[in-house]
Order: sequence, then C-alpha cells, then structure tokens
Amino acid sequence: MANLNIDSAKERTYDAIVIGSGISGGWAAKELTDKGLKVIMLERGRDVKHIKDYPTTNMYPWEFKHKGQIPQDIQDANPVVSRCYAFREDAQHFFVKDQEHPYVQTKPFDWIRGYQVGGKSLLWARQTQRWSNFDFEGPARDGFAVDWPIRYKDIDPWYSHVEKFAGISGNKDGLAELPDGEFLPGFPLNAVEDYFSKHVKGHYKNRYVISARCAHLSKPNQIHIDQGRVQCQNRNLCQRGCPFGGYFSSNASTIPWALKSGNLTLRPYSVVESIIYDDKKGEATGVRIVDTNTKQTEEYYAKIIFVNAACLNTNLILLNSKSSRFPNGLGNDSGVLGKYVAFHNYSAHIGAEVEGFEEWATDGRNPAGGGYIPRFRNVFKQETDFLRGYACGLGAYRGYKHEGEGFGENFKAGLSSKEYGPWYVGSHMMGETIPKASNFVALDAAKKDAWGMPLLDISVDYDDNDQKMQKDYVEQLTEMFTSAGFKNIKAETNHQAPGLDIHEMGGVRMGNDPKTSMLNKWNQLHACKNVFVTDGSSMTSTSCQNPSLTYMALTARAVDNAVSELKKGNI
Amino acid sequence: MDRRSAIRNLAFVMGSAALLPYCTPGKPTAHFTHFDVNLDQQNLVADLAETIIPKTTSPGARDLELDKFVWLMVDDCAKKDEQEAFFKGLGEFNDLVKKSYNKNFSDCTKDEKATLLNTFEKKPSQKNLTPTDEKYSKELRGFYGTVHWLTVFGYTESKYFMTREIVWELVPGRYNAYFPVKNLKAAKNG
Repeated sequence: MANLNIDSAKERTYDAIVIGSGISGGWAAKELTDKGLKVIMLERGRDVKHIKDYPTTNMYPWEFKHKGQIPQDIQDANPVVSRCYAFREDAQHFFVKDQEHPYVQTKPFDWIRGYQVGGKSLLWARQTQRWSNFDFEGPARDGFAVDWPIRYKDIDPWYSHVEKFAGISGNKDGLAELPDGEFLPGFPLNAVEDYFSKHVKGHYKNRYVISARCAHLSKPNQIHIDQGRVQCQNRNLCQRGCPFGGYFSSNASTIPWALKSGNLTLRPYSVVESIIYDDKKGEATGVRIVDTNTKQTEEYYAKIIFVNAACLNTNLILLNSKSSRFPNGLGNDSGVLGKYVAFHNYSAHIGAEVEGFEEWATDGRNPAGGGYIPRFRNVFKQETDFLRGYACGLGAYRGYKHEGEGFGENFKAGLSSKEYGPWYVGSHMMGETIPKASNFVALDAAKKDAWGMPLLDISVDYDDNDQKMQKDYVEQLTEMFTSAGFKNIKAETNHQAPGLDIHEMGGVRMGNDPKTSMLNKWNQLHACKNVFVTDGSSMTSTSCQNPSLTYMALTARAVDNAVSELKKGNI
Repeated sequence: MDRRSAIRNLAFVMGSAALLPYCTPGKPTAHFTHFDVNLDQQNLVADLAETIIPKTTSPGARDLELDKFVWLMVDDCAKKDEQEAFFKGLGEFNDLVKKSYNKNFSDCTKDEKATLLNTFEKKPSQKNLTPTDEKYSKELRGFYGTVHWLTVFGYTESKYFMTREIVWELVPGRYNAYFPVKNLKAAKNG
C-alpha cells in the first residue's frame, strides 16, 4: 500500500505545474516544454480542442435560432455576463454563467470569465499594443502604486519573442509611446480613418491615429504554418474559435505546440484549491485540486509552479493557500495580496456622421477593427489635472442605405438596395486607472462554491481621476472630431461597472521591495521562490494599452529565468 | 437543449394548428413557454408581417415564416412586462382596426391596411388618418414597432435574404480598405 502511494505520488510529479490555460498559461506551458521540462497544465473547465470544439464556427447567421440574441431567461439568470458585448448566441458556450459561478460584489464588478481550455484567449479582442517605457516608469514618475521593478528594455526582447510566434499585424509607426514590434503587414485604415489620421497629424502635436495592431496572421510565416495555422480569412467571427487559426489563441497555438513536444499533460476539470507550502523545505511542493466531476481532491507536485489562473482567480488561489508560514495567503508577508486591483476605464464613447468620401467604401472585413490612438495625455510630462491618460479605439464605417421605417413592396425592395449610405465614425476610450489599496479582493468568510472554494469578494470602484479622465476624453475627442469636420457629434458616457473592460489587473503586483509587493522583477514570489505569477494579477500599474501581449512577454521572460535558476540549482 | 427542442415542437404545433378546421378562433391554439396565442392573434401578426414584407416576385413574410419568428422572439427574448405590453398593444390594434373599418385586419383591403399602417410610421403619407404619437398608447405603438422590427430583422437575417438579396460571406478572405463605390455599381450592371 505504501509503495502504491509512493508510485502514485511519483505519477503525479512533474517538473513544472501551470495553473490555467488561458493566454499566459498557454505561454508558460509552451516555453517550459520547449525547454524540455515535463509539465502538467491544470484547467478548471472542460477541454476545448482547436477546431473540433468550435461548434458554431461555420454557422450562418440564419442558423442561430434567435439570430444571435440571448434569450431573456438566460439574461435574467446571468445579468453580469449578459452585459458583455461578445456574449451572444454564437459564443455563449465559452462564457461563464454568473449563476454557476457566484461571487460577492461588495461594489458592483462585472467579472467576465471563460472556464475552459484556452480560457478567454478564445474570446479576446486581439488588440496587441506594446507598453512603453512611459508606462513602466509611470508609477515612479507620477508617485502612485510602487515602482515597476522592470523597464521597457527588460521586456523589449520578450515582446519580440512572443510576437514572432503569436503573429502580430501592424505597421512600424515609430512612436516612443507605442514601440514598434515584430510585425506582419498591418491592416490598412479606410478612407475616413486615413483622412482623420492625416488630419490629426497635421493639427495636433504628438497625437496619432494608427492602424490597430492585432494578433491576426495577415501574412503567416513558417513558424505559424508549423503551428497548423493559416492566413486570417477576415471572417471577424473570432469569438466562435477560428478554424484557420487566423488569430492567436492558446487553443490554436501554444497548447497544441506544447502537446506536440510530448512534454505536456493537460488536465481539465481541475479547480486548484491551493498551493501546498512545505514549512521545512521553505518552498511550495505542489498544488491541491478538486476534480470538478468527482469532487475528489488530488495533489500534484513539481519543482516550479506557474500561476496563470487569470487575474482575480490567481488572487483567490493565493489567498486560499494558507499555511503556518503564510497564514494570510501564499507569499503575503507584506499584506498587499489582493490589493491594488485596477482595470481600464471604458466609460465613454463618441460617434459622428461624416460628410463626403462618397466614392469610397470598404470590401471584406478588417479584423484589426480600424484605428488606434495611442495615449497623448501626460506622456512626456504631467499636463492635466488627472494622472496618466487614455488610448482610443477609432473606426469608420458605412453600410447600404436602408429605410428603417415603412412597409410594403417599395420598402421591401429598399432593404435589398446596394446604394451606400453615409459614413459614420466612432471611438471609445481606454483609460489607465490608478491602483489603490482600497480597490481589493478578499475571501468571503462564509460562502463557498460548489467545489468548496471560498467565494471571492470584489471591492473595486472608479475614482475622481477616472471621472476627470472621462471628461477629458469627451472634450478632446469632440474637439478632434469637430476640427476634422465631422457632424452631429454625440459623446456618451456610461456607468458600466469595472470588470466589463475585461482588463482587471493587480493584486499580486511586482515590485522591488518585498514589504510593498508580492513579486520580484522575475514574477517570482519574493517569499516563495519557486512560485511564479505571470498573468494580469502581477501588473504594478495598468498602462492604457491592452494588456494581453504584455502578459505573454512577461511569461516567456519569467520562464526563461525560472528554468535557468532551476538548472543552477537556485530553486 | 430540452427546452429548445420543446419550443421547436410547439412552433411546429402552432404551424399545423392553423390548418385544423375545428380550431375555432379565440381558443388558445399555440402554447408558448410564456403565453398562449389564439388563432386570431396568430392571423393578425401573420397578416401584419405580410403587409410589411409582402410577397412580390420574391418570397414574403408568410413564405419565410417571419410571423413564427416574431412569436419566437417575443416568447424567448422579451421581458415579462414587454410581453404583457405586446398583448395589450395587440388588443388595441384589433380595436383600432374594428373602429376604423368595422372588420378584422385580415379582411381589410390592401389600401385599408396601408392607410392604417401609415398612421404608425414616423413619416406618414398624405393619406394618414391621425398623428401617431398623441393618439396611440405606448403599448399600441410598441406592438406595431415590435412586429415591424422583428419582421424586418427576421427578413434581413433569413437564409433567403442573405443568400439571394445581399449575400453574406462566411469567409470573405479579404479586406479592401479603399473600395471604389463605382466598382460595386459596375459589378451590379455587369
């Protein structure tokens, strides 16, 4: 019997454990297995195999019973996820239903989750803008949060490393505030976007409208072909999973790559209950999981552990990993675990009509979505009454001219008209928010979920800085649109709860000082050297660029260091 | 899954019920998840949808079963208070038709139907009876608006429309950011 247990424990021992299979977990698995380590990847949800498990991917609009709409009873039962733009009939099976995975909202927070192999990498908006040195030196310059323990030069080669493999389309724009990368050809701006880009460049100092950079294979290289992916076919049905592997997801890219090495074991249906800390050894020895089908607990062991459960669940796991050494959560000597959670401020958008450009339209679809305006506020120096700034999405479009009202033969014939209507232009803000101790997550003292995990209690809110930034966005974009000659400009602010941006970050932040941060410059827990956290929870500040690319780069960088330390015998 | 197939079966029952001679008007003939619909109500929505998207040289609302889509969406995708308002509006619509023409909507002539529907449009023709917004209740306007948008939505998202009228591509395989409008015109004429 004892021998059997030893054998069993041996069978459950790997070189490395990766918790989570989303965008950063996929990268951890890929990099670790590339370096020859035997890895087990633990995913709480079901498996989603590339192509095979994309049930809606080749469906036509009329094949959806409600033509895309989510029935009211599902919305009533799941109000949070129902507010997400991508929670539609074609992709609803990749979203967590609120009802099945409850959490506590001390303050309103729309927690959007994807519990399956691939996580939210199946669903993301695929925008991949590098962060710049202005972002990494931001907290130190502006006096908030703590200083990032890294600078742009530290991550620059790792951005290149992940970009080459993931496949990022973009143009070399030569902007210090949005560094160029290893790009496949960018998707072009259309007539109106292009006009606006030229107008802004001519009328404003340090404001630019560029083609949005995105994780699509505009022109695949051999490395992408080797992954089994081919050129993006401009379907823009990405949220269903792409049969071409046209955009980057863990499912299409990193996970099959890691599996092909023979070094990866994938274990779905595994909720990580906690990381096991050994007081005597002074390190983590493995993780305890609950099998979601049998509800049995099981343990897995490894020399190093990568925690990539997605921002708030990573916080939850660490908070729940209590030991006599760490009574307040693994690595939490400082007491900052769960605190300084921040997000992106998406609380305003603006739209307008555009006169002219009648001779141009677009044909096909642009997976990049159009233009991107890098942050232009407070970049080189502080110049407004709020800290930091915002980036803007920018898109122009025109469709066929259709009368919305009327009935009868003429009305019906009009619906088939291929006469173009006017151009419209729109933009939305993506603002940096300031991490604060008062924006935090914690374990609920009593409530537990179906697998015995404490519910996460989320207490995150906007502040005055966000309000000022929202106001400034509306003013600046209104002025830029007016200056460009756009008509009938309408700005709208909303009261969407934090979380709906799906860019929640922090709680396990990096920093130089173990007294005020959880992770060192290698995304390694200061107080538990064989545990690495490289998802959104590790972010010291939020920048205003979409964060996923940075998670990928930090992950690859952390793996490189971890394996090197492992080989040196330092872990 | 079970619920969906149940609804599909009900929709089937609803379709066949209209053919059964012993189904007298006024009796519930179709059971949806959230309500029952009698034959009069079914006929009204079907006629209204057909008036909005009539059969011409191409299929109309009845051919494309857009009335069934309207009921499906009201049943599955409307809130309870919206459903109640829909039925209230439907009743008022019937009353309005009776008051105006002393018969059912189905029995009205094409001109009578057009005259009536024009009163609901924001840009009414010269023949309109009454200005809409003051005279009609919110529910009545809402009923017409709901049937209108769901009929049009069902039509423009139908297989017929998306394969024959304005072709929707599953795999475009291209993005031309500067597409000359004259090319489309040339393609149409050529």
